[in-house]
Amino acid sequence: MTSQNSKPRTSVSCADFQEQLPDLFASGSNGVPEDPTLVEHLKTCEQCSALVRDLQYIADQASLLLQPTHEPSDNVWKKIQEGLDSDRTRSAAQPGQNT
Amino acid sequence: MEQQGLRMTETKPGPSLFKRNPPIAGEAEAIESAKAGDAEAFSKLYALHKRRVYTLCLRMLGNVSEAEDMTQEAFLHLFRKIGSFRGESAFSTWLHRLTVNLVLMHLRKKGLNLVSLEETINPSDDEAPKRDFGSRDPQLAGSVDRVALERAVASLPPGYRMVFVLHDVEGFEHNEIATMLECSTGNSKSQLHKARLKLRELLRQPEQSIQQAGLKEAAQ
Repeated sequence: MTSQNSKPRTSVSCADFQEQLPDLFASGSNGVPEDPTLVEHLKTCEQCSALVRDLQYIADQASLLLQPTHEPSDNVWKKIQEGLDSDRTRSAAQPGQNT
Repeated sequence: MEQQGLRMTETKPGPSLFKRNPPIAGEAEAIESAKAGDAEAFSKLYALHKRRVYTLCLRMLGNVSEAEDMTQEAFLHLFRKIGSFRGESAFSTWLHRLTVNLVLMHLRKKGLNLVSLEETINPSDDEAPKRDFGSRDPQLAGSVDRVALERAVASLPPGYRMVFVLHDVEGFEHNEIATMLECSTGNSKSQLHKARLKLRELLRQPEQSIQQAGLKEAAQ
């Protein structure tokens, strides 16, 4: 081992920073690093800070999709009722057995 | 008949799921009545949850006819097994987990087998989002409405769309998604990140391009 290997990093490239992003977002820090080298990169790199801002924005906006926007046709409930009716008929014919 | 491989156990959901799935007025009473076989209660539970279940199926499958079939399957399964719901998690969380598992089983039956899932949810290099090493486009903040986001999500490659919908929309944790998709947690994180990168790319394009991407996706 050379002493050079144990030196702390002083800077990272955009590629290195962006490689850390999946874990940074998954860790609950919403893309904001704790590592001082990454913090420094985020402060000084316009591209990476714009990327983090956009990804945070997209994750936040996803909650807009939680409200349902589509409705199934009436036919779906009709088929469910038919299925339930046939379950009842079957269990009436075979008392004591669950469907 | 029990469908092979479908998990019906109630696992403790993450805090985000409780926040996203608060109890609905009248739901608890309807559940108890439905357990006793009350047809009215089934109807009420269907009315309360049909839109979210159907929207979830539609987002995962991208196809109206299949989404309706899976909605039907999910509610039939729910009503047949409602006796096993013990209230340890929110009812809607339980229902959504059941729905996701049914949809995944359906997709596997269509050819997305369990072993190759991790590979098949990775789109080709052509579809992969580009890393950002220099473009100077305007930021997205404040510029994206629900319709544009919905359209962009619909045009994502299926593997990306699945993880994005499960994590960012439905609020499942990576470890839960990994279990459901039978992939690693790292793979789930990576797919989600790629999905968000792809969405960023799509949302910065003119609307027409998103529609074309959606058509291309639908044709595959």
